[in-house]
Amino acid sequence: MNHQDDNELRELLKRNIPPLGNRDLPRDLWPQMLERLSRQPFHVPWFDWALAALVGAAVLIFPGIIPALLYHL
Amino acid sequence: MNPHKYLRAYMAGLLVPTLALPVLVLAFVMERYVFGEMLPIERVMIFPMAFVPLLWGLWNMLYVASRARTHLSIGIHGAILPFLLAPLGILLTLALHFQIPGFASHIFPIVAPVGLILYYLLWKYVVHFLNGVLGIG
Repeated sequence: MNHQDDNELRELLKRNIPPLGNRDLPRDLWPQMLERLSRQPFHVPWFDWALAALVGAAVLIFPGIIPALLYHL
Repeated sequence: MNPHKYLRAYMAGLLVPTLALPVLVLAFVMERYVFGEMLPIERVMIFPMAFVPLLWGLWNMLYVASRARTHLSIGIHGAILPFLLAPLGILLTLALHFQIPGFASHIFPIVAPVGLILYYLLWKYVVHFLNGVLGIG
């Protein structure tokens, strides 16, 4: 492939592939990234664990409450 | 702009009781055909099958509509729902002449607080999560 072919190919490509235009992002993504990084991991407070344990214990000790709970769920 | 946010709130609220429904139906089938109990539960099945999911969906719509004014946490909002559901359930059983088993009145002091806690936890974690998934969290 000689120099003239190179130029022709370049011209062909320029003609047939439209310019990309504005290559910048419409907005800055970095603040969003910082916000995501600083987001707290999922945390369950201790009293919610205690409440869940209470429900579990009640169901184990009084299995008769299961139908009543299911009826209202 | 949040298109169809009330529809999405309804769908998010509806999911939990809808998931519990097959368990209830399984318990009913076991009770009837495995243990041979002849309690006419089918007479009151309309309550968990229709009323409860409907009210969960509407309750979540109400939460989405009112949270900006009330600033109530979703757990507390959900824990208020049994105060509406339980009397409705009892009314329906009475209206349909369903004989509530004797043990039910004995376990009421246990069921009531456990139900409240369960509702609080389900709304705080599950419904809240679903609201987030559907973009209304």
